[in-house]
Amino acid sequence: MSGRYGLYVERQTEIHRLHPLTKLVYVLACLLVGWLIPGAWSPYFVLLIGIVPVALAGGVLPQVFRNTVKTVAPFALSLFIIQGLFWTGGTVVQQLGPFSLKAEGLWFAVRGTGRILVAVSGFLFLNYTTRSDELMLALSQKGLPNSISYVVLSTIQIVPRFQQKANTILDAQRSRGLETEGSFLVRTRALLPMVLPLLLGSIVDIDERAIALEVRAFGRQGPRTSLLTLRDTAGQRGARWLMALAVVVVIGWRLWLWLAPRFAA
Amino acid sequence: MIRLSDVTYSYPRGTAPALSDLSLEIPAGQFCAVIGANGAGKTTLCATLAGFVPHFYRGDLSGDVTVAGINLPLSSPAEIAGTVGLVFSNPFNQITGARFSVREEVAFGLENMAVPVAEMESRIEEILRFVGLEGLADRSPFALSGGQQQRLAIASVLVMRPKVIVLDEPTSQLDPVGSREVFTVLRDLAAADDATVFLAEQKLEWVAAFADRVIVLHQGRLVADGLPAEILASPDLERYGLEPTRYTQAARAAQAAGLRHADAPLPVTLEQAVEFFS
Repeated sequence: MSGRYGLYVERQTEIHRLHPLTKLVYVLACLLVGWLIPGAWSPYFVLLIGIVPVALAGGVLPQVFRNTVKTVAPFALSLFIIQGLFWTGGTVVQQLGPFSLKAEGLWFAVRGTGRILVAVSGFLFLNYTTRSDELMLALSQKGLPNSISYVVLSTIQIVPRFQQKANTILDAQRSRGLETEGSFLVRTRALLPMVLPLLLGSIVDIDERAIALEVRAFGRQGPRTSLLTLRDTAGQRGARWLMALAVVVVIGWRLWLWLAPRFAA
Repeated sequence: MIRLSDVTYSYPRGTAPALSDLSLEIPAGQFCAVIGANGAGKTTLCATLAGFVPHFYRGDLSGDVTVAGINLPLSSPAEIAGTVGLVFSNPFNQITGARFSVREEVAFGLENMAVPVAEMESRIEEILRFVGLEGLADRSPFALSGGQQQRLAIASVLVMRPKVIVLDEPTSQLDPVGSREVFTVLRDLAAADDATVFLAEQKLEWVAAFADRVIVLHQGRLVADGLPAEILASPDLERYGLEPTRYTQAARAAQAAGLRHADAPLPVTLEQAVEFFS
């Protein structure tokens, strides 16, 4: 949350110039296809041929890679430990003292990790190459309520100011002799004199913010215009439908795989 | 343009009414300032003129409030928006946070009013020039100083071309430089004949400099109403918890010391003070 548009990394690439919905549909399609195609390695396949090339083309591969690893590592670790060691039944591959590592559990973890990798890297790619206001505008044009778009966008901008305020309060309380360092108990006790002014102050702010929004006709019903314009092309619209169609085909194939043996029986 | 008749209002859980039997008429194009001590009812009156009393704050309102032909207590904030613009003290809280540049922040209200893009662009350009922010159009609203943010808040409201603009102590949270910037905008606003402005302000020297009319609130009641020169130099001011301008104070000291004639009218602006002492 360092940049002005949240995670957005400014670059002049074709990927950046794509309509936000095209990128959103693409990422969702990758996610669903990776999820639905059978096999533990299929999400990794999607990651490799779906996400990596577009992240590279958008010039954000290093960022996507770094932050995907950072985000997914703890999940992956717990998946492997829990599923590997505590899978009921299954084939034992390795005995570790009182625990036994199960092949089925490990495969489950491989697949689960792959799915999380696709989801995280996909949404990071989307957010690194798409301004959040443009994404929200695209969604609003498709019927997303303005209040949701407001909440998302203002959170991106106001949360950092909120942190600044928290630090100011913390400094103020420290200068009055509040101990904020030391044992867990000391730190917990220090929380209340910090959180309370922050929360109460924010409640007062919310009143003013609500008024400021009303003054700017935020509550008005009916059509709206937008200073920001999004460039969409017939090609992109077509591509979005094709991607949706591809997902439907994969769902159908998957259903067939699942249902065919039952009909045969 | 603005008409209040016998307005009495109490906040929910409030013991005494915040406004009592207030009647006031402000013609179009007038720059009217309201002064009064803290708690006199200035903010409540501003909120009433913008329709947030009683809609937002609830409580009981009796009497009539009409602004630009709209009966405010009977209209929703969405219907009032665009007719009455409100600017208040805290510049940060007036920034929506949903837009990423100064230009887009100004556009927010116009977008909600479904103003066509081409018209939006020309209106934004014009208003940014008016408040002196034309060079900062592409900056993040959060990267501005307090004075700039407050001018942005004023621009964001003015661009909607409200019939009345209400400003509730727009400089009370700004440093001297920021205050001066905002007052420059207010002075230009006062010079524009067609703007109806209602300003709550504690800095009487500024009020004296460009208000057409000054009203005084004391404990929710309207206790004085007249030209800046007569109201601000009035000996009653202290009774209402207000301190006269330093020009008036200096002139009074001069009269008390016998340096100036006791009947000479007291100055409330720098120009009048120069005349008084020359």
